[in-house]
Amino acid sequence: MSKVKFFIEQSWLLIVAALLFGVLLAGAQTGLNPRIKANEEKKLSDSMKMLITDANHFELVAEDVEIPTGKKVVLSDVYRGVTQSGDIAGYAFIAEGAGFADKIRLVIATDVGFTRYMGYKVMFSNETPGFGDKVKNDFYSQQYVGAPIQRLELAKAGDNLVIDQRIVAISGATVSSDAVIKIFNTFGRKIKSQLQAQGVIQ
Amino acid sequence: MSDISTPALGPTFTAGFWKENPVLRLLLGMCPTLAVTAALKPALTMGCCVIFVLTCSNIVVSLMRNLLKPHLRILMFTLTIATFVTIADLILKAFAADMSAALGPYVPLIIVNCIIICRAEACASKNGLVVSVIDALGMGLGFTMTLCVLAGIREVLSTGKLMEVSVMPSAFVPWAAMGMPVGAFITLGLMLGLVNIIAKKTS
Repeated sequence: MSKVKFFIEQSWLLIVAALLFGVLLAGAQTGLNPRIKANEEKKLSDSMKMLITDANHFELVAEDVEIPTGKKVVLSDVYRGVTQSGDIAGYAFIAEGAGFADKIRLVIATDVGFTRYMGYKVMFSNETPGFGDKVKNDFYSQQYVGAPIQRLELAKAGDNLVIDQRIVAISGATVSSDAVIKIFNTFGRKIKSQLQAQGVIQ
Repeated sequence: MSDISTPALGPTFTAGFWKENPVLRLLLGMCPTLAVTAALKPALTMGCCVIFVLTCSNIVVSLMRNLLKPHLRILMFTLTIATFVTIADLILKAFAADMSAALGPYVPLIIVNCIIICRAEACASKNGLVVSVIDALGMGLGFTMTLCVLAGIREVLSTGKLMEVSVMPSAFVPWAAMGMPVGAFITLGLMLGLVNIIAKKTS
């Protein structure tokens, strides 16, 4: 009994503070979450519009597509870009994987036939500023525009203007460069096969 | 952990600007100082976040100072600081999403910013509410001012602009290096040298 009393005497402030701070954080999260979600949806929509420039609006065609990534399964949403005249302009999906510092979340766009990538935008990353965060830069990201939906490979040197399955790494950020390629290789063909199975694409 | 004597409010407020400036005199908070000062906007945002966290944590630590047990105080400080940093991060994500993305991990990293825990330990845990708030505002504004001066110099020299407004003559050739990490180290080094010279001459 004295041990319990000693424990409470020593730690009651910590327990009370943790509870109060928890309530405070829950309140802040609840109050701000709708606005944060709206910002994220706007960012996703803007990113997809930048990738599929012909699209007038986007429709969700497949929700929570299960993509196995090693030990766990990641859920991905797939969108279809539709032109003003109602034609399909391309597809975009959410993909994520482990980066150097934290996970990297991308929105990846493909053409109508799901044969070539139309590029990607970074939705979330905590890669090292000045190094890994260069995966957002054109030098690296433009290599994916027109790249085939096949297994992509990382090249430590080469011509970044040649568009094929070889992606030239960012100098000093090989891990981040490789992480983006792994995300493409994990998601690209699996999303395609799942959409084919669902009859969304041929 | 009880009050020793109540410091004067004026000197407490102004200490952060020069005498105990956290960056230029105490060399605290170097990580954000070097990392987010490539431009004025992110530096100002970081400064505002630090003022918010520092003020809130100083208020809470000051209110509970008589209840703190010596071996639990660092844990309590960290818990308090982490709570307010998370709230600052959420507010930024909700109302300044682009700036939140631009600052990246540096807002959550305020948790380990030595300025906050230093003021909790050195001031808030030993003084009343008013002194703690004044100290937080003085230190926070001193930190923000230093970040803004450093960022202003770097932004002008690296882009010829300040807050995206051209301020240099058209013949000015931007120094790209000033926008890179090397520019942060050089500018901070020169500022520290200048402050040391002034401090020596005035002491």
